[in-house]
Amino acid sequence: MTELAQYVASGLVVGAIYGLIAIGFTAVYNVTGIVNFAQGEFAMLGALGAIGLLAAGVPLPAAVILAALAIGLLGVLIEWLAIRPAGPDVLRGIIITIGVGVSLQGVAVLVWGTDAHPLPAFSGEKPIDLGGVTVPPQALWVVGTAAALMCGLYLFFTRTYLGKAFRACALNAFAASLMGIPTAAMRALSFFVSGLVGAIAGIIVAPIALMQYDSGIFLGIKGFVACIIGGFGNPIGAALGGLALGLLEALATGYLSSGYKNAIAFVVLLAFLFARPGGILGELEEVRR
Amino acid sequence: MRRVALLVVALAAVYFSGSGYLLNLFVVTALFALPALGLSLLMGYTGQISLGHAAFVGLGAYGSAILCKSLGLNPWLALLAAVAATTAIAWVIGWLVFRLRGHHLAMATLAFGIIVHVATVEMKGLTGGQDGLSGIAPLSIFGFELGTDAAIFPFAWLACVAAILVAENLVRSPAGLTMRAVAENEAVAASVGIAPDALKRRIMAISGCYAGVGGAIYAHYLGYISPGPFDVGFSVRLLLMVALGGFAGIWNVLFGVLFVVVTSEVLKPFGRFDVVIYGVLLVIVMIYCPRGLLDGLQTAARALARRLSSAAGGRGS
Repeated sequence: MTELAQYVASGLVVGAIYGLIAIGFTAVYNVTGIVNFAQGEFAMLGALGAIGLLAAGVPLPAAVILAALAIGLLGVLIEWLAIRPAGPDVLRGIIITIGVGVSLQGVAVLVWGTDAHPLPAFSGEKPIDLGGVTVPPQALWVVGTAAALMCGLYLFFTRTYLGKAFRACALNAFAASLMGIPTAAMRALSFFVSGLVGAIAGIIVAPIALMQYDSGIFLGIKGFVACIIGGFGNPIGAALGGLALGLLEALATGYLSSGYKNAIAFVVLLAFLFARPGGILGELEEVRR
Repeated sequence: MRRVALLVVALAAVYFSGSGYLLNLFVVTALFALPALGLSLLMGYTGQISLGHAAFVGLGAYGSAILCKSLGLNPWLALLAAVAATTAIAWVIGWLVFRLRGHHLAMATLAFGIIVHVATVEMKGLTGGQDGLSGIAPLSIFGFELGTDAAIFPFAWLACVAAILVAENLVRSPAGLTMRAVAENEAVAASVGIAPDALKRRIMAISGCYAGVGGAIYAHYLGYISPGPFDVGFSVRLLLMVALGGFAGIWNVLFGVLFVVVTSEVLKPFGRFDVVIYGVLLVIVMIYCPRGLLDGLQTAARALARRLSSAAGGRGS
């Protein structure tokens, strides 16, 4: 029983990260219709950026905030330079975001090399005992930050004027533009949100999982799988899908073998793509013929 | 046909130039051209994305090497069997993934590529893991081993020219027209009696066959393979080659391959800069030259010439 609880705890921690990355996918997809294949790189760059700032003598909280904001702005820059000129074609969008992802990975190699880098835990390494289940304190940071961020985003999208304009743009960009909503600004905002959330996900998980230049692609794929589970374009589904994937992975790793950890995500991906491409909660757009 | 003759003349010039460096460069070009041509048939002509094409090259290479080493098959027999197996696997993968389209197809093929790469790393008993397989017997004709650049050059290009001719014929045949119809609009294609899924599977199989041939020749030519060259990065480079060639256009893709091979040579002294350059190049080509680099440069040159002539004309009047 303790064993199961332990797996569930670690699954929820990892799942929260996948959920955040999945929300990043969703934000961009809903407004621009593009699946950003460079999404995982945002997390990787956020973590490595925070590590770099810390090494340069910036205190930890400032380093975290600066890195997250910088990646958000990087997202805006990418939208402006690479995504906007490309137009709405799906195939082009995919290839361009892949090009962007590869470039970001290359830059990461040039700046940080190919070694894995650690980020110190935010509040010590002493494990916390929760009724027989031990978790590192960073796990609480991950779950707490993810929950706060998700609630914050939910309030932002449902309660603020800007958030409502953003959602209008996601529902129907043309109609939104007729109502005077600046759709170009909303596209930029979607990339800012996606970069910010992705970077925060990468930063908070960095003390638990080492980050290196090629960590991004796996995080990105897991986030995509979470989106598929929850139904693409559905932010709440994305968060739940992330948790579900994290749990599945943790249980499979615990009861089967750790070698299967990455395979699980792909098996789930294939199973959902073929059996239920609309996800559990349904999808905004029909994907199947 | 004239282009093929020109290509053969150019290749003969390279072969007899006596430059080992040039020879090596062109052998590499031929080995990359095979999977790139296959990808062009799939992406350019049939409109289906694949982000896992390096996996087929890897399957061809590992298949042939393993058959040759563990079963002691003749290298030629191993090559044929590996290519046949890769073709069959490509057909099955096509059967699986072509239920999907757009982003989902891209992600499924990417996942397939990663699964194969992880498998080559993890299945240590069969593939040797990260250390790879060494001592793969070279192909040989009448006791003459094709292990050096000069020896493999004619054979590699023979395979490549054959692949070009087959691809050209395919594209010009009625099947080629149905491919383009499917790429343009699947619903319309289906309404005039084309079975899009069956067609896509067949093209995927041909595409996998091309990649498998490239991989198998590569394995016997080098005598050593490891998982490294068959990762996602290679799939992206194949994508770049095809994009530089404007996706559809057999000869343009050949140019794209040569361009990437030459740039990677030029960039070698700068260490790991090549990845950044490839990524940026892919973005630029996709935005500004959707019909390929050659076409983009031509358009730019024409625009420049027009501007210059109009400026000169303005001054004259």
